[in-house]
Amino acid sequence: MANQDRLELGPPQPADSGVMASQAVTGTARTGLLRTTNARATAALGSLLGQFRLALRTPAGRIGLPLVLLHLIIALAGPWLAPYAPTAFVGSQLEPPSWQFLMGTDQFGRDILSRVMSGAGSIIAVSVAGAALGIALGTLVGMASGYKGGRTDEVVMRVMDGLMSFPSLLMALLVLTSLGANAANIVLTIGVVFTAPVSRVMRSITLSLKTQEFVQSARMRGEPVPYIIFREILPNTLPVLAVEGSVRLSYAILLASSLGFLGLGVQPPSPDWGLMISESRRFIVVAPWVALAPAVAVATLIVGVNLLTDGIRQARTLPREGTQV
Amino acid sequence: MTEAGQDTNSLVQVKQLAVTFYTPTGTVRAVRDASFEIMRSEVLGLVGESGCGKSTVAFAIMGYLPGMHQVEGDIYYEGKDINDLSASELRKLRGNRIAMVYQDPATCLNPSMRVGPQVEETLKMNLGLDPARAHERTVELFESVGLADPENIGKRYPHQLSGGMQQRIVIAMALACDPDLLIMDEPTTGLDVTTEATILDLVVDLKKRVRAGILFVSHNLGVIARVADRVAVMYAGQVIEQAPARELFRNPRHPYTAGLLSCVPQPPSAEGTVTKLTGIPGVVYEASKVDIDACLFAPRCPLAADRCTAQAPGMEDAGDRHESRCFFWRDVRKGLWGKEVPWEPVSRDTESLLCARGLRKFYGRWQRKYLFFGPRVRPPVRALVDVDFDVRSGRTLGVVGESGSGKTTIARTVAGLIPRNRGELRLHGEELAPEVEDRSRKHRDALRMVFQNPTASLNPQLPVSHAIVRSLRKLVGLGRAESRKRAAELLQAVGLDPGYLGRLPGELSGGEQQRVALANAFAGNADLILADEAVSSLDVSVQAQVLDLLDKHQKEQGTSYIFISHDLGVVRYVSDDILVLYAGHVAESGPAGSVLKPPMHPYTEALLSAAPVPDPDARPSSIRLPGAVPTLRERFQGCFFAGRCPRKIGAICDRTPPPGHTGSDSDDHVIYCHIPVDELLRLQE
Repeated sequence: MANQDRLELGPPQPADSGVMASQAVTGTARTGLLRTTNARATAALGSLLGQFRLALRTPAGRIGLPLVLLHLIIALAGPWLAPYAPTAFVGSQLEPPSWQFLMGTDQFGRDILSRVMSGAGSIIAVSVAGAALGIALGTLVGMASGYKGGRTDEVVMRVMDGLMSFPSLLMALLVLTSLGANAANIVLTIGVVFTAPVSRVMRSITLSLKTQEFVQSARMRGEPVPYIIFREILPNTLPVLAVEGSVRLSYAILLASSLGFLGLGVQPPSPDWGLMISESRRFIVVAPWVALAPAVAVATLIVGVNLLTDGIRQARTLPREGTQV
Repeated sequence: MTEAGQDTNSLVQVKQLAVTFYTPTGTVRAVRDASFEIMRSEVLGLVGESGCGKSTVAFAIMGYLPGMHQVEGDIYYEGKDINDLSASELRKLRGNRIAMVYQDPATCLNPSMRVGPQVEETLKMNLGLDPARAHERTVELFESVGLADPENIGKRYPHQLSGGMQQRIVIAMALACDPDLLIMDEPTTGLDVTTEATILDLVVDLKKRVRAGILFVSHNLGVIARVADRVAVMYAGQVIEQAPARELFRNPRHPYTAGLLSCVPQPPSAEGTVTKLTGIPGVVYEASKVDIDACLFAPRCPLAADRCTAQAPGMEDAGDRHESRCFFWRDVRKGLWGKEVPWEPVSRDTESLLCARGLRKFYGRWQRKYLFFGPRVRPPVRALVDVDFDVRSGRTLGVVGESGSGKTTIARTVAGLIPRNRGELRLHGEELAPEVEDRSRKHRDALRMVFQNPTASLNPQLPVSHAIVRSLRKLVGLGRAESRKRAAELLQAVGLDPGYLGRLPGELSGGEQQRVALANAFAGNADLILADEAVSSLDVSVQAQVLDLLDKHQKEQGTSYIFISHDLGVVRYVSDDILVLYAGHVAESGPAGSVLKPPMHPYTEALLSAAPVPDPDARPSSIRLPGAVPTLRERFQGCFFAGRCPRKIGAICDRTPPPGHTGSDSDDHVIYCHIPVDELLRLQE
């Protein structure tokens, strides 16, 4: 029932918040209190929409939300909306922007706008999946380590420090060159790279939450450790997790496009923003528009996600809507 | 300097002040109607429960209101309406003529600056004194607030001072510009009773020396009774009663004030009888609701009539400078809130339920200079050192002491939330495992806990039913449907509607949350409930209700309690036996009656004389403890209390640990002191 509610929503939600909502839903589904579950799933959904409404009350949110929505629409419907097929040679080489080719054409005479629009789906899918995997792994490691404490925590966190001391791009390169570059491996790589920073954040919040009386009270009831971590502590980390999720998402987009730039992303001729920028380097002086469109696409997506997060965060401090002053 | 028609003594007049805040969660009507006057050389006590707007009034006078807000009404300063003053005049007025002392001294002082220069800075800025003169004046100020070694104390950083000393520095800073009006917002709330008593003495002393008016805001009737000349009582944003202190405490003319007074445990009368506390049922008219044309207290009032809900009462003159916002002030009398029944805790001579011998808990371990090598540099914190006590079945053991005395450590080691280092804990003669995870289900079921902070003891993301239902399923082994049914019954037993089960804790008030926590502790068949400061964060009216619930449960089920509190009044009220702790050591233990009357340990004596009593005529005892609880990293060579003991007899106190003397009228009564019992009795009578 809860899932139906979610599907009826219609317009796509930003993927990171979607991850959060489904976590909340599966979390409550297990309690078996059907009525409350449904009510709370609807509440979670309502609060998600509420968050967006909230965000619209700040300038940051008013810019960020449309940017993110625009990217999502393009990601989902890009291939159909695009004027040309992304791999078709439709014009002559390196044509400047014109009414026929709004963003010009590349070195093979393919329409750049169409390629950017068709490439949106893969990069967003990869970065969302990568960020989600990183969040999931990091949450697991961080919360378990933080809750256990003592020597285990010490060892786990030193390992995480070791992971973090490695530049993330270098590490991604290492994993991808040894495993082979494909979408699944990119997701895995992003996930592994993000485990360490996420686990740090989750560990610190677990450390402060585990001393809270409701956790002590669960210990006194004799609840098993996984129950305490996931049922008692996890729901209370959601605000932090949401912020961390959106931060990780924008880093994931950056990392995914960097990998594309280095030729380790989606393989040609499939369109990839990073790869497009990389290939345009040779003509950057004579045909700057080739780099412009994918660069703007990456930048607006990251800026959009960041602004939306900021907007939601700021809006929480404003007076309630409709208050008369 | 004053305008015609003004009383020359009148300093500040507040007329129909109202403050509204606009917040993310809605509009808050923090103050609805507050009118009062502050005279020179007078302490006006502003008292009320949490959320009644008393601090907002103080901040409104200072103009320090945060966020988006609107202030209505007038504030006159020496007869001048401050609305007429220009911005710079207002700033000058608030900077030089009014000073404020806040609740938490630690946040008022810059932690990276020595305290002396902080005070000097104020003097240089506001009075334009030259550095040498400012330093001289600072030393004078430190002396006048009773700081020992005023010459050198200014060289210290805030963290090197105890809470009481910090508060004295803040008061010195407030006095720096010789203010006309001193606003003190809960200045002693974060301090220990013994320190609180010394700060209150200072306030009383200041009142005589400085020709300033003092607005003293507090939730504690006992504190107000000790310092205030006149008292204004606030309820739901309104001043509902105003009178000279003695008059107010003797003859309250508003049902709410009368109710508050009957919620506070009074010391026993000369015959040793104690009156049972009565709570105030219902909840405060919420600040989020709009003003209505009715008495805001009517829904909770035993005197309420039709008139009260049809018309808003104004301040009525009840004679002798006494005003009350009640139509029926003439009918307010003692016993309004229920018959005064003598209160006697159940005293049964029963067998021992929980027995602790040599209980010891040190936090941390010796730290060495180079991680694993080198000399031992930092010892562990000795939180509990070889403590013995017994809890008898069906009785209450009260544990009392200042912060840092080891009270909470006792609760947590008994509960198994932190493992003890050494010592024996036996429940029904069976050894309890040090950690709760290793205990059997029977032991977990037998030992439940109620925590201090009701908000933190319920998971904010899960419905109220969660903890109770889980307790029933895990500890009693009930099925899902049965446990929900039982949970509803439990909620009813603590006076809450079963409909609360589906709500989130955040939708409940603090008192309601604590009732849920009680219902959770009552789920299952606990033999012993550990109440760790269980009523300390509650308002007095709610506190009385919670104490009553605990008592009812004990009488019905024969449950024992370990009742931990820093409030001696409450401990005296609930306990059959009392354990007085100081710095992790037992100072005195025994039946409540014997512990709290001479002969007693000098520390117990000091605690008793420091405890604020809601009676302006109470004879203020003169025993005050200097300094603070010692750091627990050192091992005491002699008596643990020797450093602060007002009755120290000599070198023996510093060299030999005190022997346990049996008290005069009971074998269970033990006093750990070098002074013989007969001598103590003679000194204390």
